[in-house]
Amino acid sequence: MKKIIAVHSYKGGTGKTSLSVNLAASLAKRGRKVAILDLDFRAPSLFSILKMEKSTVWLNDYLNGASTISKILQKTNGKVVSNGKLFAGLANPATEAIRDMSAKDRKWEMRALGRLLSLRNSLLKEQDFDYILFDTSPGLQYSSINAIVAADLVVVATTCDRSDVDGTSRMLRELYNLFEKKTGVVLNKVLDANLNSKKEELNKRIKDVYQVPLLGLVPCFCELLKAQGNLIFVQDRPNHPFTKIMDEIAIRIEKDEI
Amino acid sequence: MKKNDILLSRKPLHILEKIKENLERLNEKMEVMIEIQRHDKKELQAFPDASLDVMTLLSMPDHLRKTAMTICRCGRATAQEIAQHTKRARAVESAYLNQLVLMGYLKKERIGRKAYFFIDRDNQE
Repeated sequence: MKKIIAVHSYKGGTGKTSLSVNLAASLAKRGRKVAILDLDFRAPSLFSILKMEKSTVWLNDYLNGASTISKILQKTNGKVVSNGKLFAGLANPATEAIRDMSAKDRKWEMRALGRLLSLRNSLLKEQDFDYILFDTSPGLQYSSINAIVAADLVVVATTCDRSDVDGTSRMLRELYNLFEKKTGVVLNKVLDANLNSKKEELNKRIKDVYQVPLLGLVPCFCELLKAQGNLIFVQDRPNHPFTKIMDEIAIRIEKDEI
Repeated sequence: MKKNDILLSRKPLHILEKIKENLERLNEKMEVMIEIQRHDKKELQAFPDASLDVMTLLSMPDHLRKTAMTICRCGRATAQEIAQHTKRARAVESAYLNQLVLMGYLKKERIGRKAYFFIDRDNQE
């Protein structure tokens, strides 16, 4: 079933962008037509991770009403997913663009929401995309809440950090519940995640604290840190355990097991 | 049948249709009045040029947010169409939609007997 998925978190540094890119790559690897859009206009990073620094078209222009989504989306240069199934809409990293996007008023945000909502028609229906993934900025930013409202499913990236747990549970209760959004949590950077006792404990804790299903439990992999953002594991390390976890999450999303 | 006869035979039907249309409008207004009584009157405070952005959605009472979220997704819809999504009665949705019109968040356009509700994003510069 076609879906718009927003990947969000309460705090920064939870692995949201890594999760978005690898999930998008995993879905594309499975033969799906996927668009990943960088909605983190305050700290754009997708252009760097996808090595598309030379881009001259930006998602900012689409939301400003200065361009169409077809002109903004670009094919990514992936190996595994090089069959033209993964497209990206990049946020402009120029300081001026970041400043401009930070100074938008409520009316602009309302029109931006309209443009995000219209992607369902223009991309999912007319251009036959299977999935649109929104990589959002952390916390309760306008652009992130717009993405959540426009999405069918919200994937929340969180860690075991105390402040993250408190903030995430409040955000789920006071924001997501109000919008009645289908939500799944991915617990990232977990130490000793391979111990069965630890898995059971975390599963129970997630259910108790967040009261939403656990989509995936991702151990803290040193290889991810060592890669320094240079690798997309689903594409570059197809046999790595991290890739397997991303594939499992992708399958759960495809089967609508949330 | 002469032309005059045809016009005469159509006239009662036309009058009946007009009466039905007016009754439907009256009904909608009564639904709004019932809703005003049911909920806090402050909710119906009209804001000229109000924008239906996500922060406004968050601050809305639950019953109106559901309707507003659905119209956000549908774009342009009748009360009947919104009711199909929210699984609430058409009359209830009609009342909530009219409340949102009164509050300045939605626009309403009547085409024939059907009333269409929509967010006028483009004209809110």
